Amino acid sequence: MTLEQTLWLLAPELVLLGDGALLLLLGALPIRGDKRRWLPVVALGGIAGALFAAVSQWNVEVRFLSVLSCDRFSVAVDVIALVALGLVVLVSGFYARTRRVRYQGPFYALFLLCGLAICLSSAATDLVMALVALELLGIASYVLTGYVRGDPRAGEAAIKHFLYSVALSALTLYGLSWLYGVTGSTGLEAIASAVRASEAELRPAILPALVLIAVGFAAKVAAVPFHRPVPDVHAGTPAPVVAFLLVVPSIAGFAVIMRLFLVALPVDLVVLDADWRTLLMALAAITMTGGTFAAIWQDNVKRLLAYLAVAQAGYLLIGVVAASGQGIAAVLFALLAQTFGTLGALTAIVALARHTGSYAVESYAGMHKQAPEVAWPLLVCLLSMTGVPPLAGFVARLGLYAAAIEQGLLWLAVVGAFNGVVSLYCVWRLVRVLFLAPPVAGAQQAGGAIRRRPAVPLPLAVALGIAVTGVFATALLAGSLLTLLQGAAQVVSSV
Amino acid sequence: MFLILAVPRDDARTIRRIGVAFAIAALVLSIVVWVNVAQVAADESGSLAYPGEDHAWISAPPFNVRFTLGADGLSAPMVFMTALLTTLALYYSARTLEVRVKEYFILFLVLETCLFGTFLALDLVLFYVFWVVGLVPALLLVGVWGGEGRERAALKLFLFNLLGSVMMLLAILAVYSQAGTFDVLGAAAARPFSGAETPWTARVAFLAFFVAFAIRLPSFPFHTWMPEAQTAAPTAAGTVLAGAFLGTAGYGLIRIALPLFPAPFAYFVAEAWVLPVLAAASILYGALVCLAQWDLRRLVAHLSVVQMGFVTLGVCAAAVGHAIDPAAAASALAGAAMQVFAHGAIAGALFFLVGILYRRTDTHDLRSLGGLARRMPHAYGVVLVAGLAALGLPGLVGFWGELFVFKGSVGGAIAPAAFVGALGLLFAAACVVWKVVQHGFLGEMNGEKWVGLEDVTTWEKVTLWPLLLLVIVFGVYPAPLLDIVNAALALLLERLP
Repeated sequence: MTLEQTLWLLAPELVLLGDGALLLLLGALPIRGDKRRWLPVVALGGIAGALFAAVSQWNVEVRFLSVLSCDRFSVAVDVIALVALGLVVLVSGFYARTRRVRYQGPFYALFLLCGLAICLSSAATDLVMALVALELLGIASYVLTGYVRGDPRAGEAAIKHFLYSVALSALTLYGLSWLYGVTGSTGLEAIASAVRASEAELRPAILPALVLIAVGFAAKVAAVPFHRPVPDVHAGTPAPVVAFLLVVPSIAGFAVIMRLFLVALPVDLVVLDADWRTLLMALAAITMTGGTFAAIWQDNVKRLLAYLAVAQAGYLLIGVVAASGQGIAAVLFALLAQTFGTLGALTAIVALARHTGSYAVESYAGMHKQAPEVAWPLLVCLLSMTGVPPLAGFVARLGLYAAAIEQGLLWLAVVGAFNGVVSLYCVWRLVRVLFLAPPVAGAQQAGGAIRRRPAVPLPLAVALGIAVTGVFATALLAGSLLTLLQGAAQVVSSV
Repeated sequence: MFLILAVPRDDARTIRRIGVAFAIAALVLSIVVWVNVAQVAADESGSLAYPGEDHAWISAPPFNVRFTLGADGLSAPMVFMTALLTTLALYYSARTLEVRVKEYFILFLVLETCLFGTFLALDLVLFYVFWVVGLVPALLLVGVWGGEGRERAALKLFLFNLLGSVMMLLAILAVYSQAGTFDVLGAAAARPFSGAETPWTARVAFLAFFVAFAIRLPSFPFHTWMPEAQTAAPTAAGTVLAGAFLGTAGYGLIRIALPLFPAPFAYFVAEAWVLPVLAAASILYGALVCLAQWDLRRLVAHLSVVQMGFVTLGVCAAAVGHAIDPAAAASALAGAAMQVFAHGAIAGALFFLVGILYRRTDTHDLRSLGGLARRMPHAYGVVLVAGLAALGLPGLVGFWGELFVFKGSVGGAIAPAAFVGALGLLFAAACVVWKVVQHGFLGEMNGEKWVGLEDVTTWEKVTLWPLLLLVIVFGVYPAPLLDIVNAALALLLERLP
């Protein structure tokens, strides 16, 4: 393979890296005041470029640099992640400007580095590469968590996030090295053939490794019971970063989980295949139930959404456990639905925070009067998050349940469906306050002088518009999207 | 059929006009559908569905969810009833509603769309989508514009129904894994669960469907959300909820539960005895609650429970009898379908009347009323007609439904349940005559409080008369309705194994 070809295959990554470097450079220049508003535009331009590069690689299927693979699966994951990142940058741009965040150049550069990390993790066919990519993502996200200095809660959140993640990364690393020790390789396919050759003898050694790896990745996608710091982190973090943390890392986490388990431990194994699936099955059930029930008692909107997002990870695990092309396609679709639903809801929260001045559920009273142009999209996004038809979230659940039932995992679908009902109750508490309660007099003063129906700032309006359109459009175009995603899923499921 | 109110501004008058106009347009279209269906039925060409929309929605290889709509003799009358009730309800609302007019009308039309969709969908997933989406406007209509206790009632309505719905969704997926299609007719034709495996999968899947329908129907013991929601709902929304929203469940029982699961259905009727017991219990329990209830609205809501009990009873009789005695089964099923339609008109009229009374007297307590007939002779007439229709007085529309259900069920295995049902009807009759008529309308005027009462005004008559007209016309001459219902049901029964 020539250098040009390799560079072309790396185009999305290179664009993100180059744009990130440019932003760092711009951040170092003494730009003041108004001109800084162009920084998010530069970041968005980079994301759009990477998106374009990724889409153009749809029909490529090639391994390169021995640890990366450019195929439909990686492209699909990249596209979803870049769309999510674009929405996050839109929201952050607004936030950084109004809250006067210092050092904005590096702020956006970090987002782009995360994009780079995801593109690498989705393409990684080697344990080391996957781990490095996830660590890059992790490091960037620790910094983002604590980026707003001067807020002690943000500092606390960053430290918590950092310590917890590092500890779990160490566990993952230990598990991966164990796997390497047993099979003699870090390449996924090589592991698969080693395991296939002598499954029965290797099983006792691989099982502990599996548990360690599963724990580590469960933490990456914030599955219960490894989700502990997530809601805490989110309470102390700027809302746009919360939006980022809730959606983006789990895209990378799921990409790695799917590729790792399906390629390294393919379904044609006799016992080990059942082993990892049982492990993730339990994790899925616990995550859905734990996340949903914890959300019932949350009074902080950010925490409420954080717990609902934790539960989301459980639903996605259903599709992974199903381990079929249909299941993987459903997971990818669900990631897309989650991108629009969860990010849309958080965008709305950021927009409403200008009125409420707080994230307490009660402070949202009567917002449908004060800001109907935000409250209604918020409702749509919340309904999508909880899987109400005919929105994107519903189609995602439908695909996930169908994949589970096809594999004879009816009970998992039942657990999911009942949690869906409970999660609607959680959302209802917010919706009730938003739409039924009269406006609180105090909320008026909290945000200072508030006009009755102020316009939503442009970046937020754009992000909200994209999210709501996405929630409807993905459901409407679900047929063709699922067909595309099945093409992507075949890459990992039919090995 | 589908209309979206896209002209929302702060001008309440325009909104009211547009809302009512669109509802009338839908009503006209629904009559067109009925006429078309009647023609197809008259041709006896044997085609089931009046062809409607058919588009692929989610057609990724393993999935094939289609956007398929179609009407036949079973759905056309219900679509008409939905359209009529919505039109009347919006007209009533246009006269009475002052707050948040815009959202109210939009939600109401969304509700109407969803109800249409539920009656017309020929794809299981599409049916589910409309079934569940309809809950959202119902939730908000009760929760935002309702009376006392509205939030609790709305939430209860929503969660009860949603719980049933998700069970139905899983059952739909189970059917899909067996039949390989989401098409309502195709799935029934594929005879899911007829393989050599244990019948329990089929039974569990059937129960999931049944519970979803029983919750919305509502059938004892899943009915508790309904009186609460009806008490809290604004009058206009209450009529549509009772008349059309509940009807979707009766329709679902006939259209989906019976053709998809004939064997499990028969099992739970004849061998396990669960369903006839529930049906009889609904009738009897509803009637007894009516006897004990002094709140007029709750009383009317429980009358709905009684009437819907007959729907369950009729479908049960058909499920167990279609192989043994086809004529009786056809009669029972036609009775159930007629009952769903009749209940729409009767409950609609009664809820309107309760609302009209409440606007004047500010109370639902029958004990504080009395002697109203003297002041409101017109209202008294409406109560008599609708109340007696609910009890199946010959010459009124409710009679045919109940007659056919009895006729179809007394000979079969579920005769005891039918007798209990008859007993329940007796209690309900006693209650209506004794409580509503005697306490509310006849007897002594309760002090001087109600002397100044105004009788039903002209515009209120507009909301009541179309429904009463239906009650009387189809009571005296049910043939137009019965013919198309029978044509559709004959086909449905023919396809059962």
